[in-house]
Amino acid sequence: MGCFKTKIVIFSENPAYLRMAAAIGQSIGGEIIGISAIPDVKFVNKLYLIDKMDEDGIVDLITSLSPDLVITGSVRKDRAIAARVAGRLKLPIVPDIVSLKLDGNKAIANRVAYSGMGLVTIEAELPLVVTVVGTQLQPKELEPSMEKVQLKEGRIKVVSKKSTASGANLATAQIVVGVGRGIGSKENVKYAEQLAEALGGVVGGSRPVAAELGWVPEDRQIGLSGLRIRPKLYIALGISGQPQHIAGIRDSKVIVAVNTDKNAPILENADYLVVADAVSFCKAMLKKLGKQ
Amino acid sequence: MNIVVGFKIVPDDQMIKIVGDKLVTDAPLKVSTYDKNAIEEAVRLKEKFGGKVVGITVGNNDRKSIREALAMGVDEVISVLVKNPDVYVTAMAIVENVKPLNPDILLFSEMSTDSGTSALPAYVAELLGLPYVSNVRSLKIEGNKIIADRGMVSYIETVETTLPAVISVGGEINTPRIPSVKQIMESAKKPVKEVKFEAQPKVVIRDIKPLIVNRKKIVIEESDIDKAVDKLLEYLKADGVL
Repeated sequence: MGCFKTKIVIFSENPAYLRMAAAIGQSIGGEIIGISAIPDVKFVNKLYLIDKMDEDGIVDLITSLSPDLVITGSVRKDRAIAARVAGRLKLPIVPDIVSLKLDGNKAIANRVAYSGMGLVTIEAELPLVVTVVGTQLQPKELEPSMEKVQLKEGRIKVVSKKSTASGANLATAQIVVGVGRGIGSKENVKYAEQLAEALGGVVGGSRPVAAELGWVPEDRQIGLSGLRIRPKLYIALGISGQPQHIAGIRDSKVIVAVNTDKNAPILENADYLVVADAVSFCKAMLKKLGKQ
Repeated sequence: MNIVVGFKIVPDDQMIKIVGDKLVTDAPLKVSTYDKNAIEEAVRLKEKFGGKVVGITVGNNDRKSIREALAMGVDEVISVLVKNPDVYVTAMAIVENVKPLNPDILLFSEMSTDSGTSALPAYVAELLGLPYVSNVRSLKIEGNKIIADRGMVSYIETVETTLPAVISVGGEINTPRIPSVKQIMESAKKPVKEVKFEAQPKVVIRDIKPLIVNRKKIVIEESDIDKAVDKLLEYLKADGVL
């Protein structure tokens, strides 16, 4: 290898994922080039400070750097950009990696597939694009040089952007109460909220409930394509246990399911299944917790 | 309007089982969940603007799944047989077969249930040099203009671009239709073109292991909910989580 230095470009729309990408990059070793709209990025060798989140512009910038390795986060914007960079340069892409090792020019990555049920070991050669899941690793601080970049206007024009953020941080919550269709109605979600409050936790929801029915705010969507949570206690209310939902809760320490059907598929992935109606369960829990 | 919709035939994710230290993926095949939303959206565009919907699937050529797409309103299907398709090979196979069709729009879903990479539509867009709008939850087309709402989990973004373009959709965009018996019968007569494609994959799968999380699977069933909750609280205290 001699003086070969791996050129690693990292990007994420989300600061926590950018740190994770940097930590993985640092563990590989090489020159870390960060792309961010936030100036306060201290864990790279060089920072390109971009003036806007233009997807076309970011793809142009990353590809123009001829990277050996591109590491992005795995929020939806990151995924779109990573796959476009791979497509433009005809590179291999391995999304959602949980680990990455280099052996010369060969990369070995582990990723989760089959809706979270399988851990797949993948091999690909550099140059390579990966996206990382998780935000648990912390990079070390470096002293980056900084260059401001004005991105060109791309072909996708952003007309408006509306936050769905409800203030709850499911990613770091110790107790999460998850709501599924089985809770019955939007009105019934208040019982889940009361229970979460009594336990010092927060409410999340399955994809149908969060994204399609709007019973809980959209940014609380738990699952394969939403948030992957790791609380010490997860209580699933009226959630049948679709693989896509399980993929989001696998890392929970203890999983309690509440379902009227004792044969609900979620039992396979639960420590306790209480056979009951979700609302009656919440009321009974609130009563008990109030007594303590 | 020349509409192309990509769909993937995958093992039914509800039938995939972990048996011992193996992940058993030879489950019955089906059209991947959100791909049905892409098919539905393609058929709706045809109903509104006229034209034709060509479906393309790479990998499995399960006849029943292809028939399902045809019954939903896809006019014809190109089924591409490949060995060891990764994102690169799949994208190349799609581009080779759809480029001659001069599509105005290519629809995909935002994620398949097996590999779940979300990478294919973007890869195809770049190979074709077309704009790409991901995670679309509502789509409007006016003349040459596309107006799309993108569901980005922590925000919703409304964007504009122009045809031709590549779009990926999420489950929120529509409710896929259930074909009638007549449509299912008629689907048998629709053309299915089987073609082969060969390219060297850039990503090699070395190993698939089940991701086992051992759960206790204790069922608490009591006619009195208060008793059930008492039991649960006892367990949770013993586990040290409450």
